[in-house]
Amino acid sequence: MDWTTFGVWLAAVFTLGIISFLYRDNIFYKLCEAIFVGISAGYWLITFFWDNLYSKFYSQVTDPVDPQWTPWIGFVLGALMLTRLFEKIGWLSRWPLAFIIGATAGVYMMFYFVSNAMLQVSATILPIYTGSISGAISNLFIIVGTFCGLIYFFFSKEHKGAFGGAAKIGIWFLMATFGASFGYTVMSRMSLMLGRLDFLFGQWLGLIK
Amino acid sequence: MDITKRNIKNLYCVHLIVFLFLISSLTVFAQTETVAEEDTTTIFIPQSPISVTAEDYKYDRGESVVINWGLSPDDDGSGKVTGYEIFRSEAEQDDFISVNVVAPGISTFRDKSVENNVEYIYGIAALNGDDASPMTLSEPVLPDTEIVNWNLLNLFFIGLLIAGSVIYFIAHAKRGKKLFIRKIAGLEAIDEAIGRATEMGRPILFIPGINDMDDVQTIAGITILGRVAKVVADYDIKINMPVARSIVMTTARETIKEAYVGAGRPDAYSDNMVRYITDEQFGYVAAVDGIMVREKPATCFYLGAFFAESLILAETGNSVGAIQIAGTAMPAQLPFFVAACDYTLIGEELFAASAYLSNEPKQLGSLKGQDVGKFMAMAAIALGVISVTIARAWGGSFFPWLDEFMHRLFTITN
Amino acid sequence: MKKQVPLTITFIVGVVLVLSVFFPPVETLGEDFSLFFDIIAVFAFFLGGGNLIRVHTDRISKKKKDWGFSMITIGGFLIMLAAGLFKLWNPGDISADVAATGSLFQLMYDWMFNPLGATMYSLLAFYVASASYRAFRAKNRDATILLVAAFVILLGRTPLGMYATEWIPESFSLLQIPNLAIWIMTSPNLAGQRAIMIGIALGVVSMSLRLILGVERTHLGTDNE
Repeated sequence: MDWTTFGVWLAAVFTLGIISFLYRDNIFYKLCEAIFVGISAGYWLITFFWDNLYSKFYSQVTDPVDPQWTPWIGFVLGALMLTRLFEKIGWLSRWPLAFIIGATAGVYMMFYFVSNAMLQVSATILPIYTGSISGAISNLFIIVGTFCGLIYFFFSKEHKGAFGGAAKIGIWFLMATFGASFGYTVMSRMSLMLGRLDFLFGQWLGLIK
Repeated sequence: MDITKRNIKNLYCVHLIVFLFLISSLTVFAQTETVAEEDTTTIFIPQSPISVTAEDYKYDRGESVVINWGLSPDDDGSGKVTGYEIFRSEAEQDDFISVNVVAPGISTFRDKSVENNVEYIYGIAALNGDDASPMTLSEPVLPDTEIVNWNLLNLFFIGLLIAGSVIYFIAHAKRGKKLFIRKIAGLEAIDEAIGRATEMGRPILFIPGINDMDDVQTIAGITILGRVAKVVADYDIKINMPVARSIVMTTARETIKEAYVGAGRPDAYSDNMVRYITDEQFGYVAAVDGIMVREKPATCFYLGAFFAESLILAETGNSVGAIQIAGTAMPAQLPFFVAACDYTLIGEELFAASAYLSNEPKQLGSLKGQDVGKFMAMAAIALGVISVTIARAWGGSFFPWLDEFMHRLFTITN
Repeated sequence: MKKQVPLTITFIVGVVLVLSVFFPPVETLGEDFSLFFDIIAVFAFFLGGGNLIRVHTDRISKKKKDWGFSMITIGGFLIMLAAGLFKLWNPGDISADVAATGSLFQLMYDWMFNPLGATMYSLLAFYVASASYRAFRAKNRDATILLVAAFVILLGRTPLGMYATEWIPESFSLLQIPNLAIWIMTSPNLAGQRAIMIGIALGVVSMSLRLILGVERTHLGTDNE
């Protein structure tokens, strides 16, 4: 059987089914949604099973040359998660959760502090005197904008008077940021649909070579 | 907010215009093949690099070595040298393996693939296409482990200052001193939004983002869920929480259950309030969209880490007439939430939300600590800007030194 | 015990991972955590997958609304599961790669999973237009700034933007739309992004400290003090 032709038709049917949601919810979309949820959940379970449980745990602990013991910690914590299914010992499932939250807090605290705070502060230390007016104005914009943006985010002071004025300027800069991000992504979003239309009119209907 | 027929018609018109635009944009692209020309140049062997030194990279686990070399005399920008190839061998053996190739003009490389406590010798050869000069060898080098990474001393002190200020104000607030916190519109609207759901008899939809509990944004979303669930339990409204991660499902159930127990209504809680959909990003979105158009929630909360699906969720929520309160620390998704939602918690406000909603002095104290951190950042920027500006404009010795100091203070070398 | 042990675990693990950054012998603890998390996630998936099956079988058994679609969901889930676990139609044997070319798993991925995901993603083309239509009505100053910035950036990335303002003399070249777009991206946009990112970093530090110190406990299902 020519699976490619069957596959193309199947993909086209699913494409049209999802696009039909733009008009309204309908049985076609519900069918596509049900299939998508089912097969994607199955896909990720298989991926987790082979990539995580088999490769990262089983292969590591049963390696004939250099068996590792640290994956057993993850295994024990994972097993504790399953105690949730039993009411009497379900409280044990909080332990792996506590582990995850503590570790996430610890790892992210330093990571965000370095990449988002220290590097950004370092990059904002710019000279106002650059030898050219345009350079000076650009740098001034960046410095003032960063300052006013930070003032906007102050929680413990009311946005009144000069402080409120600076916060107002800060929100203007934030709006410019959001507008710029929005405008930047519009074309790339359009190209996503172009890809699907190219598939429908090209690969499926053969109207475009 | 009822969606009028006119609004729906306008929406269809916009979609139709986009569709016609996209159809007209489909073009045919032609591919042309280029035939590689036969190389007929003569062989040229460049001169070897001058002296090679290899040193253990400090402040690591003995897993990297820094190699420096003098450029080949033929590396003068004329193209006679096309790169340098770095070779490595264990000191007792003579089997050199190629580690990397770098561009001409570069005279340093950090090899991060060495083993601790194994002695190595490095060789550098200058390349001209496929032809290479004889290697210049280094002295043996032994990578070693340092206990403390002194390179990060600046990070430690600044981190200690910021963390210290947060902890100080948490402790300070415990002593009962009242702290002023300005109103945050998105958080003030939560009660109103939940009240709306009660009046309309429609459920609340809570989306904690698309990431797992190993993302601090998801944790922030779940902590806000705890506050929201308390109000939901009091008002006796239905809360619907489809999730994309199993661990998030487990945590969310714990959180909501405790909220109902705390409200004195343990029997009203059901595990069906939180259900797992799928780990797949767009499969999850497809299902949530379906839930939105069928159950028509009165209020939608989007609080956590989102990616491209943020706009799909927000627009669908708009189409069913829900009040939408969003919050994320993904800068790329904030514009879409700002454009499509009624209220948006921007970045830092997401992490402050839980403390804000709790109204507890200790939690509010941490917000004050955050403000001190912002003040320190602004002070550092101001000092740095003044020093670098004066250094550039007038020179001298103090301000250039101060400028260098400020840059080094906020730069991480690793 | 039920409340104190989790808080203690959070504290110890959090502090260890914060300090591990400064001590090279233990600096890879963060990667180890990542490994443990991946393994924990598999076990948690059994809970999630079990919930998925339970919810849909409940709908089927009680003949609730749209119960037919629940059958399809479960069917798709089980077929994908079988295809991946038993490597059905795999050209190699059971030890071959699960996504080998020609395997049922790969075929379902190529012809079902991929098109469905790509099409959902592509709906953004329409949603970005409808969001723009609604948001860019310039009702106040803030919305006007957002509109102008978005418009300039959008035009700056198209040939139309270039043609529309190429008549502007070189001395005012900043006002040419492509140059203006670049300036907006590298000045006001950069300033706003930096303010947001610095704020986020401080928010994460504050939130992390509240979690590690046990000030914030809602996620563990315990009441705050």
